[in-house]
Amino acid sequence: MELTRLNRNVRILNWAAFVTISIALLIVFFYAPTERTMGNVQRIFYFHVGAAWVGAVAFFIALIAGASYLRRPSKKWDTVAVASVEIGLVFLTMAIVAGSVWGKPAWNTWWNWSSVRLTTITIAWLTYAAYFMLRGAIEDEEKRGRFAAVYVIAAFVTIILSYLSIRFVNDLLHPVVVGGTANPQTGQAADSLQEFAPGVESTRMVLSLNASVIAFSFLYAAWMVNRIRLQRFMDEASNLKMRVVSRLQGDLS
Amino acid sequence: MSEKENNSSFIIPNSAFWSSVWAIVWKDLQIEKHTRQIVSVMIMFSLVTVIMFNFALEANLAAAREVATGLLWATILLAGTLGLNRSLAIERENQTMEAILMAPINRSAIYLGKVISTTVFVLILEAILVFIFIIFFNKPYWRPQVILVLFLGTIGYIAAGVLVTSMTIQTRTREVLLPVLLLPLSLPLVLPAATIVSSYMFPQLPELAEIQTPLSLVLVYDLLMLAVGFLTYHYVVES
Amino acid sequence: MIQIKGLVKNYGMNHVLRGVDLHVRPGEFVTLVGSNGAGKTTLLRIVATLQQATAGQVTIGGWLLPQHASRVREHIGLVSHQALLYGDLTAAENLTFFARLYRLENQQERVATALKTVGLLARQRDAVSTFSRGMVQRLTIARATLHEPDVLLLDEPYTGLDQDAARLLDDLLRRESANGRTILMITHDLTHGLNLCDRVAILNRGKIVAEVDSAHTNPAEFLELYTEHTRRREKRRKRPVSGSGSSE
Repeated sequence: MELTRLNRNVRILNWAAFVTISIALLIVFFYAPTERTMGNVQRIFYFHVGAAWVGAVAFFIALIAGASYLRRPSKKWDTVAVASVEIGLVFLTMAIVAGSVWGKPAWNTWWNWSSVRLTTITIAWLTYAAYFMLRGAIEDEEKRGRFAAVYVIAAFVTIILSYLSIRFVNDLLHPVVVGGTANPQTGQAADSLQEFAPGVESTRMVLSLNASVIAFSFLYAAWMVNRIRLQRFMDEASNLKMRVVSRLQGDLS
Repeated sequence: MSEKENNSSFIIPNSAFWSSVWAIVWKDLQIEKHTRQIVSVMIMFSLVTVIMFNFALEANLAAAREVATGLLWATILLAGTLGLNRSLAIERENQTMEAILMAPINRSAIYLGKVISTTVFVLILEAILVFIFIIFFNKPYWRPQVILVLFLGTIGYIAAGVLVTSMTIQTRTREVLLPVLLLPLSLPLVLPAATIVSSYMFPQLPELAEIQTPLSLVLVYDLLMLAVGFLTYHYVVES
Repeated sequence: MIQIKGLVKNYGMNHVLRGVDLHVRPGEFVTLVGSNGAGKTTLLRIVATLQQATAGQVTIGGWLLPQHASRVREHIGLVSHQALLYGDLTAAENLTFFARLYRLENQQERVATALKTVGLLARQRDAVSTFSRGMVQRLTIARATLHEPDVLLLDEPYTGLDQDAARLLDDLLRRESANGRTILMITHDLTHGLNLCDRVAILNRGKIVAEVDSAHTNPAEFLELYTEHTRRREKRRKRPVSGSGSSE
C-alpha cells in the first residue's frame, strides 16, 4: 500500500472541493442578493441548506453501504458507512449551528423548538450520533459491522420522516424556499421571512443556493475519500500490530 | 451468502409463518401470566414518574394539565424501554433464542411475534395510564381517536424497539444503550403522535384536515419500521 | 448422516477450525473430545446451523449447509449444558411451545409421551426454575427429541450433573442411540466421552488429529493416545517462544 503519497483521485477531489467552496463563498457574499428584512445575516442560509442537504445525502450513502454490507459482508462497505455517517454528522452540526445563528435575528432567540426543521435535524443528529455508541459497544468486528448496518438502515427512517415533516407540516417560523409552494401556508411564511423581489433577485438566490449545494457535495466527496483512506491506514496499522504480537507468541513459525 | 434464499424474509407469510408467530406470542403471554414481571415493572415505573413529575410542578394542576400529553408520551417511552429490555432478556436467559433459531421457522416470524407480544404489554400499560391521567389531569384521554393514536404510536415504537433491543442486548453495555439508541429513533414518530393527541384535548374536536399530516407521518413510520425490522431481523439474531 | 469436509472457520485473524473432516454414519454415536479452545463448540454450532463456516462443506442427511439450513433444522436436536428452556414456564408449557414451533401433530399427546419418557410427568405443571439440574437436563433431552430428529447433537451435556443425574443421562442417551438416532457429542470429559459411543475423534487446535474405535480401546490406552496427540502439538507450538528468548 502506498502510504506516503495521496493517490490521484484523492488529490483531484481535494482540489475540486477547495475550488468549488471558494467559488461558492464568492457567490454567496458578492453575487447573492441581500434579503430585504434580514439583510446580510440571511446569507448564512445558503450554508445551512447546503450542509443539511449534503448531510441527508451522506446518510443515504450510508444506507446503501449498510444494505450492501448485509448482502455481502465486507470491510469495504463498513468503512464507507462509518465514513459517511461521520461526515454526515459534521454536516448536520454545521446545519444546526447555521440554523441557530440564522434564527437569532429571525426569531430573536437562538433556539426555537417549534421550528420543525431545526427539531427534526437535531433528532437526526442524535440518531446518527447513537450509531457510534452502538459501534463502540461491540467488540467482535463481524457483529459490529452487521449491527451497524442494520441500525444505519433503521436510522434512515428518521431522515425520511424529517423530510416529510419539513415538506408537509405547517411551520410558520420556517421558510420552505425552493419548491415550497406545495403548501400555501408555508408559502406565505416564506414570503414573510425571505423577501426577494420577484424575477432577477430570486433567480440569483436560487443560483447561489445551487452553487453552495454543489460545493458542499464536492467537499463531501473529498472528505469521504480521505476518510476511507485514513481507515485503510488504521486497519493496516492494527494488522501489523496483530502480526507483531502473533510473531512474538511464535504463531507464525 | 446463499443462506438468504432459505431464510429469506421475502416469503409470503403463509399459515406456517403465522403459526410460528402465534407460538412466540403464546409463549410470551404465558410467561407474563406466570410472572407478571413486564407489565408490573412498567406500571410501577410509570406511577413513580407521574408522581415525581407532580412534585416538580409543585402540585400546580394548571401547569401539569398543560404538559400532561407530553408527560403521557414520555412515560410510555421510558416505561417501554424497560418492557423491551425485559421482553428480550427472556430469550437471553438459558440461551433460549438458540433453541428458537434451531427450529425451522422464518426469522421474521420471531420478530413479528416479539413485536406483537411486547405491544400487548405496552397497551395494557397504556390502558392503565390513560385511566390515571384522566383522573389526575381531567382531560379527555378516553376519546377513541386518542386511543387509536396511542395504539398506532405504540406499534411503531415497539417495531423499532424490538429491532434495536435485540441488538443492544447482545452488546457489552446492554440495558444502558437502549434508550440512547431508541429514543432519538422514535422521536419522528412520537412528535406527530403527540401533536394529534394534543389537538384532541379541547372540548371541540379538530377537523380531519388538521390531523391528516401528523397521522400520515405516524402511519408511514409504522410501515417503514415494520418493513425494516421484517427484512433485517435475521441479521440481528443469527451469527 | 453427517458429512464434514475441509471445514474452516476464522474469526478475523483467529483460525479456529483449520480443515476438519468427519463422517458420522447413520445410527452411529461419535464423540469429539478436545481441550478448551480446540474448536469443539464452534464445530458443533456450525453443524447446529447456528453459525456459518468460512470454508468447507457440511451435509446432514443429504442437505447441504447453510443453503438448506431450514431443512436440516427439521432433522436435528441439540442438548447443551445450557438448558435452552424457559425457567418461568412449566415443563409441559415449554414442550408445548417447541411442539408449536416445529408444527407437530397431536401436540398434547407427544408432550405427554415425552414427559413420561424422561420421568417428569408428575412435575409437568411446575415451573422449570424449581427443577434440579438433573431434571432440567432430562427435560432438555425431551425438548431436543420432541420432533423425533434423526441427529442429536450434544454439547458438554454432563456439565454440572451429579453422579446419579449423570447415570440417568447415560441411560437416556443409550436409549436414544438404541432408537437409531445418530449422535454427535462434544466434551472435554474423557471418561464420559469414551463410555457410550462407537467412535471417538480427538480435536486439537482446529484439526482432527486421531480417530479411534471405542470398542477396541480401553480408557487407559485412550488417555495415553489423547495426551500424546495433544502434547505433541503443544511442544511444536512452544518451541519458537523459547527460541526467541524473549522471556528469559
